[in-house]
Amino acid sequence: MKTIRTFISLILLLPLAIMSCEDKISPTLESAVPVLAVDAWLNNKPQDQVIVLTLSQAYFDATNPPGASGAVVIVSDDAGKVYSFTEDATKAGNYVWKRPIGQVFGAVGNKYKLSIQYKGETFEASSRMGRVPKIDSITYDTQKRVGSKDSLTRGQFWATDPKGSGDTYWIRTYKNGVLLSKPREINISYDAGFSAGGDADGVVFITPIRRGINSNDQDSSGKTLSPISKGDSLNVQLNSITLQAYNYLNQVSTQTNRPGGFQELFATPLANVSTNISNTKTDGSKVLGFFNVSSVSTAGKRYK
Amino acid sequence: MPRLICVVVSLFLFYQGLAQDKFTINGYIKDASNGEALIGATVFIKEIRSGATTNEYGFYSITLPPATYSVNYSYIGFQPISKTVELNQNTQISVELQAETEQLEEVVVRGEIEQANVQNTEMSTNKLEMKTILKLPTLFGESDVIRSLILLPGVSTVGEGASGFNVRGGSVGQNLILLDEAPVYNSSHLFGFFSVFNPDAVKDTKLYKGAVPSRYGGRLASILDVRMKEGNSKKMEVTGGIGSIFSRLAVEGPLIKDKASFIIAVRRSYIDVLARPFVQLLKDGGALNFYDLTMKANYNINRKNRLYLSGYFGRDNFKFDATQGFNWGNATSSLRWNHLFNERLFSNLTLVYSKYDYALQFGKDDRNNFSWNSSISNFILRPQFTYFINSKNELNFGGDATYYTFEPANAVGITNGNSVDLSLDKKYNLETALYIGNSQKVTEELSIDYGLRYSHFQYMGPGTAYTYNDTIPGARKRVIASTKYNSGQNIATYGNFEPRFSFKIQTSETSSIKGSYNRMAQYLHLISNTTASNPLDVWNPSSNNIKPELADQFTLGYFRDLGKEHTYELSVEGYLRYTQNQIDYIDGANLLINRYLEGDLLSGLGRAYGIETYFQKKSGRLTGWISYTLGRTELKVDGINRGDWYETRYNQTHNIKIAGFYDINKRWSMSGNFVYTSGTPTTFPTSRYIEQGILIPYNANDSRNNVHLPAYHRLDISFRLEGKKMKDGKERKNTDYWVFSFYNVYSRRNPFSIYFSQNDQRLPQGQPLQSQATQLSIIGSIVPSVSYNFKF
Repeated sequence: MKTIRTFISLILLLPLAIMSCEDKISPTLESAVPVLAVDAWLNNKPQDQVIVLTLSQAYFDATNPPGASGAVVIVSDDAGKVYSFTEDATKAGNYVWKRPIGQVFGAVGNKYKLSIQYKGETFEASSRMGRVPKIDSITYDTQKRVGSKDSLTRGQFWATDPKGSGDTYWIRTYKNGVLLSKPREINISYDAGFSAGGDADGVVFITPIRRGINSNDQDSSGKTLSPISKGDSLNVQLNSITLQAYNYLNQVSTQTNRPGGFQELFATPLANVSTNISNTKTDGSKVLGFFNVSSVSTAGKRYK
Repeated sequence: MPRLICVVVSLFLFYQGLAQDKFTINGYIKDASNGEALIGATVFIKEIRSGATTNEYGFYSITLPPATYSVNYSYIGFQPISKTVELNQNTQISVELQAETEQLEEVVVRGEIEQANVQNTEMSTNKLEMKTILKLPTLFGESDVIRSLILLPGVSTVGEGASGFNVRGGSVGQNLILLDEAPVYNSSHLFGFFSVFNPDAVKDTKLYKGAVPSRYGGRLASILDVRMKEGNSKKMEVTGGIGSIFSRLAVEGPLIKDKASFIIAVRRSYIDVLARPFVQLLKDGGALNFYDLTMKANYNINRKNRLYLSGYFGRDNFKFDATQGFNWGNATSSLRWNHLFNERLFSNLTLVYSKYDYALQFGKDDRNNFSWNSSISNFILRPQFTYFINSKNELNFGGDATYYTFEPANAVGITNGNSVDLSLDKKYNLETALYIGNSQKVTEELSIDYGLRYSHFQYMGPGTAYTYNDTIPGARKRVIASTKYNSGQNIATYGNFEPRFSFKIQTSETSSIKGSYNRMAQYLHLISNTTASNPLDVWNPSSNNIKPELADQFTLGYFRDLGKEHTYELSVEGYLRYTQNQIDYIDGANLLINRYLEGDLLSGLGRAYGIETYFQKKSGRLTGWISYTLGRTELKVDGINRGDWYETRYNQTHNIKIAGFYDINKRWSMSGNFVYTSGTPTTFPTSRYIEQGILIPYNANDSRNNVHLPAYHRLDISFRLEGKKMKDGKERKNTDYWVFSFYNVYSRRNPFSIYFSQNDQRLPQGQPLQSQATQLSIIGSIVPSVSYNFKF
């Protein structure tokens, strides 16, 4: 529904933007103890898998988050196979599973359990690797910009959600090798549509999702830049995610995608995003973050 | 219910018996200049030191033993009329009051009539005269009913651009807004900048914040009763105005002199028309406008029967180009029939149809697009009776039946020619109510109002009802079962008794103490978890999962008139309201096109309390008021804020409003208002963490609304220049005036919200992400405007 909100605020911007104004401020925030944050998004791409453990920082801390060292990190599947993640000696908090040659991590349909032992406490989470359809193609099209002479080129990917309701995906895009990872670039789908109950099962991904692979950057004057120029390439990775992960990313998007302006009229209150990781001890330390295992299909194309 | 009817009937017979050797004086009180009925005008009978007020149709009735009476008719701003009546049979006296001219204002000796506020049993109500609304400084030069209401005690808003208003700590969706008795589901144009009420067509605005009479129900916090003009029954009249955002034009006049009249009023914004040559988007078929049409006609069939037909139609239109866009609007129509069964039994039968809908359309071609619309519509049948028993008792009774159809979403997405229907089931509901209430003057000092309303709500098939498992508070509930219902089958039913009680003790000629208790039930819920309510918010009926909201409110107040001619009025009122089944939302709730919406809703308790003080100067060259409200409103919902009480988004501890009007000379007058409110609460994070390259804010204390925005304050000033009264030595037939308004005079950047985000720059790998806080002011500078208004 983000698109709809964006749409409304765009319209509103026209007459009223002149009068509104935004100021960067530095309010004093309550202090809080650091909490373990788990960044465990694994996939079956042919590469090493990394789980990053960090500690939360004060909100305005402008440094990289401190790594959480000395943890024991293990992932096991329901067939009893155990994957050990060992801490990278050069990067505190990065725990790596070295991929044996010719193997990938996990298999579609398997269930996985994450177990982290850190400072005497055990944190656990589980996930399942879902199926993913292949990407048929990536296409580019150029449209004249509304109200201007120049044009905008955008990409879209083409794929069909397999029959059977309840497949959830995260579509991640690399533009010229750089991951588009801004909050507004989170592109998730439920079957081929936005959300559950949408009856968009077993069809081609709907337009906003197909087109959700573009960066929508603006120059300093606020003019939208063409997402694609001659010579650019897009690499689209369609990741299967669990329903929990889909809900989680929805929350992340709501909480982090704050373009400001009149969209604030329709902004939901700040709230903590959930986690699927739990402390085995009921009254133990809090934990943040997410564990998900994806299967991935990829496709890339250069715009010539 | 049969028992209630029995009571009514026996009361009726009882009083009939008592009243046999008495006679009735009744009739209408009207404005002599245009024949408009005066609502709430006073009829005072010297001999019994008591009287009556006119109802919404200008009708009054008093029954007394035979004798000679001196009857005084009066209304604020009008010259009173006195009549001597020898009452030996039923007598009809209809009077027309002349408006006071400025010269007269100083010399007229005011009687008891001016003390309505002290002597009335009514409390927690505010009446805003159209005259006052037209004088207040405006935003963009346009007078506005709802923006004016916000200057009254106990009424607040979360900020500019936010639709609706909050009353005594209630949410925007807890106000029932009636336009000639038809409910208006979204009272705003251009989000919240203007309200749907055209000031040229509105006669009377009354807000009930508490002590709500039993004839009203359906919302917890307030009833806003807006009555349209009937139309000048004496002569044709054209009024209008030209402003910077829109223009208005109203035509009214008699259809048959003194028997039938009409009014038609239109407004249209024209930013897009003016901007079309300059903005490509508008040239390409884009649009940005709103318009509304308000009309009414009435026909006075005979002394005992009168018909009124009123309608409103308005729409906001935003279009990106010829095929993509967004629009919303209300349509209401009501037909009313006043019938006098006998001299003392007045009745009104109302039929209403009202609808609110919105529609969106994206996508440029037929093979790839997305369209979505949603609506709520209703039919209402509402018989109401007033039995004027005697000078001491006035009995009101009647009923109310509303049939609702909800269309939460009709949505179709077409991809490559394949259409996917995302529509949700319609929902059908019937809300009915029976009520009875009596206003009784027990002694000269004590008056009481007591009544009872029984409301009933049915959620009916066809439809599917879902059952959810509710395990972790605050988390999305999972569907565990669904049941299909056929047409007419009951899915859920609720009933509530709503007692209403209020009293007034006259402590002296010029002071009184009043108190009240009332219970209200609300069966429709406005589903909105955004900072400001917006046009896409859907109304959701009570169901097997959502219980009706209930409120119990207690009020106590002291009212006093000051000054030799009761020039000043002071009131202090305290209120305390407990609410149940209040709706809040899980974190990350999905409220639009969601079949399982109810799984994202939470339910909890609410409480609101406060003190409102109001000091008004009613006459002289300088008039105005000071209002101060000290209040608090909180919710307690499992799964939010660790299960503790938290302030609502619209809580304001201090709320000060000052409005002043000053006549500089015959042609120039000025007005100003100043608003100061404590900052509303909001949630700030304490920490941050990074997940997959995204910086996520985190509140380690799990708190909701843990900090307050900086205070809001603003000064507005406006000047009004009356057109020349004389031309070439003769009096002009036309009148006109200019209004120069300055909104936010000292350009304060009042914060609407503060939000937290990561810096938008794309950083090279390994560089730390930067977090930032941004304060948004919707209006950050002075807004000057000018409008020209005329009448001929």
